[in-house]
Amino acid sequence: METWEVFRRHGHREPFEHCGTVTASDHEMALLTAKECFLRRREGEHLWVVRRSDIHSFQDESLLEIAADKSYRFNSGYRDVVEKRERAKARAKELASS
Amino acid sequence: MTYEEKLARFNAHIEAGGKVETEDWMPDDYRTGVLKFIEMHANSEIMGAIPEREQVPRAPSLKRKMSLTAKVQDEVGHAQLLYRVAEDLGKSREAMFSDLVNGKSKFHNVFHYPTKHWGDVAIIGWLIDGAALVTQAALLDSSYAPYTRVLKRICSEEQLHLRHGEDISLELASGTESQRAMFQDALTRWWLPIIHFFGPKTNVEKDLLLRWKVKTRTNEDLRQEFLDRYVPKVLELGFTFPAPVPFHDEASGHWLIRDEDIDWQPLDAIKRNEGPETARRLALRKTIYDTHRWVREALAEPAVHAA
Repeated sequence: METWEVFRRHGHREPFEHCGTVTASDHEMALLTAKECFLRRREGEHLWVVRRSDIHSFQDESLLEIAADKSYRFNSGYRDVVEKRERAKARAKELASS
Repeated sequence: MTYEEKLARFNAHIEAGGKVETEDWMPDDYRTGVLKFIEMHANSEIMGAIPEREQVPRAPSLKRKMSLTAKVQDEVGHAQLLYRVAEDLGKSREAMFSDLVNGKSKFHNVFHYPTKHWGDVAIIGWLIDGAALVTQAALLDSSYAPYTRVLKRICSEEQLHLRHGEDISLELASGTESQRAMFQDALTRWWLPIIHFFGPKTNVEKDLLLRWKVKTRTNEDLRQEFLDRYVPKVLELGFTFPAPVPFHDEASGHWLIRDEDIDWQPLDAIKRNEGPETARRLALRKTIYDTHRWVREALAEPAVHAA
């Protein structure tokens, strides 16, 4: 018996999402078992099973951290747009009246 | 089931708002149409990285240099996501790249023009990304589902790029007279290409992609949304538009431009891949592709682990 990771998708907007695991001797049995366990109430219309041994991850998850200050990659790095817009409008007025 | 029966069934599915996945049956014209559309989008992302890349060395501060570099990286990433979706429709990435660098396929008109200074970065980041976001957001409900799933990521990153572009624009607008003159100069040069970006009026009868709901709105409808959203924002900063000059229509409440004020002539050369910067940028893209061949080859080899 092997362990299979189960993914399902509901509709077409979202990608497949992991929803659990089953044990089975081959992929057909894994699909059948997964259908019984995870699509019992129409939680999706599409199902994948993947052998756990075919899934790989980082041994050291600290490698996933962002190494430096990269605030410019986030919306929060540009929060003061309202004040900046007011300042630019004031500058335009000042030049127009001079 | 005959081809006609399958086609009728497909059309009914689309008509009812149904979505299409890669493994589903689809008419040949749908497959080739979607492929060409996504390929052009991918080409535009990867060619669109070049004009901004040209300005990275001229960034006014280290922070601006890092944020612009990050944005260029995002755009190249969008191309990679889109080429992957296009590949699943039956054309290899190598073939798409070869067609691109040999001028056999197309990319968006705005990326055929030169950049002159930092003011161009403001206009590209704010108004061109703003125009792109209007068109891309309209595709989030496209009938080809794998495209919509990558567009979600692309649109959220474009939102960030828009803030980045507006931030640069507002900095110039709040600055010295020469900084404001840079913004105005770039606006004057880019305005007509931005209007061209949306394309001519859509022929609703003949547009297969519109009928199959791959595209969801007409060119003129998207252009109108862009004008209403951005024209007042530029005007309140005290800048002026060249032709086609937008005007406010009191009756409808819309910012309009007159069709007869749009000079379409500059677009003809671009359609033949003979725009002002087309040859130089395609040559650069080809050089990068050729000189990076060893990277692709090295990546294709499985790693050899020391015992």
